[in-house]
Amino acid sequence: MAEYQNLFTQVQVRHAPDPGLPIPDPHNRGELSVFSYWLGRIGDAQIGPVHLGWLGVLSLMTGGLSIVLMGLVMWSQVGWDPVQFVRLLPWLAVEPPSPEWGLRIPPLAEGGWWILCGGLLTAAILLWWARMYLRARALGMGTHVAWAFAAAIWLYLVLGFIRPLLMGSWSEAVPFGIFPHLDWTAAFSIRYGNLFYNPFHMLSIVFLYGSALLFAMHAATILAVAKMGGEREIDQITDRGTAAERSQLFWRWTMGFNATMESIHRWAWWFAVLTVITGGIGIVLTGTVVDNWYLWGQQHGLIPVYPEVWEAPIPAPLPGELDGPFHAPTPEGLPGVSSIAPGAWSSLPGTEVSVRFAAPLTSALEVTP
Amino acid sequence: MRHVMRPAAFLAGGLLLFLSACELPPVDAVDLGFRGVGMQQVDNPRTLQDSMDAVAARVPQLAPTPDDFGEPAPPGTWENVQVLGHLSEAEFNRFMLAMTTWVAQETGQGCNYCHVIEDDGSVNFASDDIYTKVVSRRMIEMNQSLNVNFAADHIREGGINCWTCHQGQVLPNNYWFYSDGTRRDFDRYFVNEGTRQIERYYLDQRAVRVISPEALSGNTDNTSSIQDTEHLYWIMIQMSEGLGVNCTFCHTSARFSDWEQSPPSRVHALRGVNMVRYLNDEYMVPLQDAWPEERLGPMGDGPKIQCATCHNGAWIPQYGNPATRGETWPALTQIGTVHPSAPSETPAEGTPDQP
Repeated sequence: MAEYQNLFTQVQVRHAPDPGLPIPDPHNRGELSVFSYWLGRIGDAQIGPVHLGWLGVLSLMTGGLSIVLMGLVMWSQVGWDPVQFVRLLPWLAVEPPSPEWGLRIPPLAEGGWWILCGGLLTAAILLWWARMYLRARALGMGTHVAWAFAAAIWLYLVLGFIRPLLMGSWSEAVPFGIFPHLDWTAAFSIRYGNLFYNPFHMLSIVFLYGSALLFAMHAATILAVAKMGGEREIDQITDRGTAAERSQLFWRWTMGFNATMESIHRWAWWFAVLTVITGGIGIVLTGTVVDNWYLWGQQHGLIPVYPEVWEAPIPAPLPGELDGPFHAPTPEGLPGVSSIAPGAWSSLPGTEVSVRFAAPLTSALEVTP
Repeated sequence: MRHVMRPAAFLAGGLLLFLSACELPPVDAVDLGFRGVGMQQVDNPRTLQDSMDAVAARVPQLAPTPDDFGEPAPPGTWENVQVLGHLSEAEFNRFMLAMTTWVAQETGQGCNYCHVIEDDGSVNFASDDIYTKVVSRRMIEMNQSLNVNFAADHIREGGINCWTCHQGQVLPNNYWFYSDGTRRDFDRYFVNEGTRQIERYYLDQRAVRVISPEALSGNTDNTSSIQDTEHLYWIMIQMSEGLGVNCTFCHTSARFSDWEQSPPSRVHALRGVNMVRYLNDEYMVPLQDAWPEERLGPMGDGPKIQCATCHNGAWIPQYGNPATRGETWPALTQIGTVHPSAPSETPAEGTPDQP
């Protein structure tokens, strides 16, 4: 049915719910449609009909179960204390298995919950993707939305599945949690020598910021010609009117070039999609091919040499200082403590690698009388 | 305009609520390195001034520094004085009173915090029965060693005294114990598996280098995990908060691991870490048997030191307030000696004279 919807339209018309197109797939459309005044202020006031279907039901079930399990695991970490759960929620996490598990499946408490929650969440996302694809086909639309979503799923799978597989360890994956997943990004960048020098990270940022810029330019342009019918973009594509003419001349005047009424949407779609595609490439190369992006950048001429500005000459650490004086206080080890998480950090092979524990020194504890 | 005003008011209100967790401006950003590379120290001059004022307001009134510290007290002046034998009687008493303020101020117990009061009301200064006396003696030795042995490495000119860390409290701030792995602290440092027990870096955990020295993965056998890195990250964040500085106070912004491009303060900090490890190993851990039950942590170990124990959120402890200096306290500026007993008038048979 013909509707005219515009921010300038202050009148909300109430009518019998619009069931949508009479396409040959009427079942599973749901009967429930309601109206919301406040949603009407920013979009269509009609909510529904929702097509759930078995894909939607399964997706909501797996996704809901995943989120509930994450919440329960986090709640258990504060001893089921509801107050502490709310207070510490931003810092609580469902952590992936520690490095010594490799790609094996650990017990639930040692990372098994992460695999379970991650598997359920992945199932929910993939089911939702299939749902978007099939609904688009049912309406006779193109499948652009589904493929844009697929690009985001690529990055999600790289972070949580593909790259851990290539690295041979679940511990490389991102934890679930508000600050913990941000801490992961910081740690990831530090471990691999500063991700800013990863050219695919650079590209991803270009497309991300570019997306925002294109979004702003396009939205502003259409709003600016809305009073000439500019927001009816499909009309303007097939039957160019004064809105299209004016908006395109505006950009030719100001920057010499204009995207067309149709191509601007391809610009936006590709910028958005390339953000996550390039980002995923950058992540998948990190640790598998490049171990230190700063040094990689140095070798490829990305990095200037900055002049030193310190007043004093920079003292170099003396031999032996880096590992410092280093002792274990009792022959038995520490009272009641053998290591932080047995196996996790205590026996890492390799060169200048991370946290290690000293062999106990037998002579260190002499209590002064 | 009314239809715009109401949502705008909602938006403004929400924004205020959102920003309520932030600090009020102004914020000073000072370039510490080459322009434009983010080598900045960020401070709020208002809150910084507040903390400096708070430090100054806490400074205790102590007896004035004498012109002359005098000669060591004659043998036999005191009994059981093991590390302050180089002091005159006046200086000894001045130092004892100062320590009472520096360390035991909050208890209000005065001399009795360390010294035994007998049933008849007299004070038995020689007795080691109260554990605090044993601990204090070891702490005096530690302070002497810091001023003498670490002057070049980490302790700035003028040295330190008990007030530098204790600030009138029996236990200085930010001491640490081994964690029993439970989240009893409900502290964000203890929330994640990888962030527990990061203080062990200051005693019995080795270096925390996780960044590869080679560009390509095929050229390095660095197997440091993300968890190792998070562990290191939390050590560093705790240090940063303990000193009230940004990462770039010590590290170059582009490459944290690079010593050549790092500010000189990084080596200073490294030596500070090594110093803290030494202090824990040499002074704190050996006191294990001296502590009473109530001073022990959940794993049964005594309190230990980290950067923030002394720094307390300032890059120089108490912003270098003169009250923190040790130079006017001869008790602390040299390694102490044992006070000799009085030579006996009639030495017992077979007992050699005291040297």
